[in-house]
Amino acid sequence: MKRGAVLVASALILAACGAKPPPPPTPEQALALRPADARLAALYETSCRACHAMPETGAPMVHDRAAWDPRWKQGEAVLLDHTIQGFNAMPATGQCATCTPDDFKALIRFMAGREDSAK
Amino acid sequence: MISRRGALIAGGTGVAVVAGGAGAYKVATGDKPEPPSPPSVNADGKLLWRNWSGIQNAYPAARLAPKDEGELALALKTAQGPIRPVGAGHSFTALAPTTGTLVSLDAMAGVVGWEGDAAIVRTGTRLGALGPMLAEKGRALPNLPDINKQSLGGALGTATHGTGTKIPALHGDVTGLRLVTPSGQVIDADADNNPEVFQAARVSLGSLGVISQVRIKTSANRRLRRRVWLEPFDEALANAEVRWAQHRNFEFYAVPFTGLAANISHDETDEPALARGPDQDTEFLEALKGLRNLLGFATPVRKAAAKALLSTAKPETAVDEGWKLLSTERPVRFNEMEFHLPVENQLKALEEVVRTIEKERPDVFFPIEARRIAADDAWLSPFQGGTRGSVAVHAYYRDDFSFLYSLVEPIFRRYEGRPHWGKLHTLRGQQLAALYPRWNDFLAVRQELDPEGRMLNPYLKGLFGLT
Ligand SMILES: Cc1cc2nc3c(=O)[nH]c(=O)nc-3n(C[C@H](O)[C@H](O)[C@H](O)COP(=O)(O)OP(=O)(O)OC[C@H]3O[C@@H](n4cnc5c(N)ncnc54)[C@H](O)[C@@H]3O)c2cc1C
Repeated sequence: MKRGAVLVASALILAACGAKPPPPPTPEQALALRPADARLAALYETSCRACHAMPETGAPMVHDRAAWDPRWKQGEAVLLDHTIQGFNAMPATGQCATCTPDDFKALIRFMAGREDSAK
Repeated sequence: MISRRGALIAGGTGVAVVAGGAGAYKVATGDKPEPPSPPSVNADGKLLWRNWSGIQNAYPAARLAPKDEGELALALKTAQGPIRPVGAGHSFTALAPTTGTLVSLDAMAGVVGWEGDAAIVRTGTRLGALGPMLAEKGRALPNLPDINKQSLGGALGTATHGTGTKIPALHGDVTGLRLVTPSGQVIDADADNNPEVFQAARVSLGSLGVISQVRIKTSANRRLRRRVWLEPFDEALANAEVRWAQHRNFEFYAVPFTGLAANISHDETDEPALARGPDQDTEFLEALKGLRNLLGFATPVRKAAAKALLSTAKPETAVDEGWKLLSTERPVRFNEMEFHLPVENQLKALEEVVRTIEKERPDVFFPIEARRIAADDAWLSPFQGGTRGSVAVHAYYRDDFSFLYSLVEPIFRRYEGRPHWGKLHTLRGQQLAALYPRWNDFLAVRQELDPEGRMLNPYLKGLFGLT
């Protein structure tokens, strides 16, 4: 019983450690980050990067989990809708005239640090 | 714009104290909600396109992103009209919306060559990306607009400009261009080859076809010293002409309901770089909005509070390469009207606009911008025929902007202003013909290059008086 409780406790600690968001990238790292897929990287570079890799724009920085977590919690549908419509400082579609909804989903996943959809 | 963290923090405190007043709370909570938005997908399953500020939208049947001129030329031949080129969607007017084909040159970007100090640049390049590309060669665009998110093609399309008496708008430095017409013809044009197409196409609102690349003059990538300082609006008015003559770049903002103005100058220097520090425009605008929300019901109180809170702000200085300093981030969305006036009318028009807004529209809080732009000879350039002085009035994107048409535009028109093509205005057909000596020549080139009007959406038809 006691041993079981210890195991559960350590599993919880491990889980908690695993959930701890990684530190945000430095400004230089943020500028250098790109999605692995070349086509997506080109879309990201033309449209998203001008705000999401520049701290002074107020946009959540690419791979900054602390900034993205509360947004991510709203769910993919809400984030996608805000992207297409524009929301607060975010202009509609991030001014990507040719991105499809699937492109936006992949770009949001990348910026939120969730390229691995299991995360 | 101006930015003093100290002043703004003081502003926040002041606002909080004043908020204790009974009436004030009601106004404070009067911040408008997000404007209603159109559906993300229409009944036909087409995806929404919207401009930066959110007031223009469309559900294009097709979206093209050609990778080269061949693909672009082929696609234009058969594309469903209206065919509308689009850049970053930063225009406020209905230039881009189409139920037909939207053409983005996002996949056609970069510097593809040099002819001496002139760069050959593909027009899908965003201005922000162009800076570092030119800097690699020790070169820069002589001037830049307030932001650098626009595509080069879009910026040229609407005669986008910065400020400086001796510095023309971006298209003024274009010495050659390649136009792909709706019939798929590829035309190289400059002062010697196809000169009529060159003069018409440099500022052409995407109505002649798609410009795939341009040859554009560059200047040495010099370091600039940027200064930002506040002073009473009257003093800014009295000194403006001298400052335009003195500085490489100069502009100022009248801050309505404060009695103040913010000046910004840029001058070449060899001084070592001095960081600009974080952009604080947003905080400044929030403070002005706070003053509006809390004290908008009483102009004298609002002015007194603004003066007390903001006028002690210390000047700011930064030194860096021009492409890093001339544009700033403008993350707060707005709608805008800008007219380009004969220089002798500019300050009179500005004064009248400020006076009118302060009398009639206490909800306005955005600063009003005054700039100078050198002359050029493109047929639809607002700077065609002489240096012009611009005045730009903004409205927060959640606020009503109808006053731009009812109160501001009549003043600009009385002072013989020409509208910025990408910003709000109501001028059409004959009204524009009266302002542009080469208007009919432009329309003749348009008719020749696109006889079936496949590039024209309803807005452009109205603008050109073709309906
Ligand atoms: C925050 C903000 C700040 C601004 N600051 C300034 C400023 O300081 N100075 C200023 O002058 N303006 C300014 N503007 C206005 C802006 O520069 C212009 O509206 C500009 O045209 C926007 O460029 P874009 O790439 O978004 O073009 P879009 O708005 O997408 O298109 C503009 C026009 O260009 C045409 N076009 C685009 N690409 C091509 C091409 N390859 N070939 C042919 N036609 C093409 C389009 O059909 C359309 O007619 C500002 C706008 C905003 C939202």
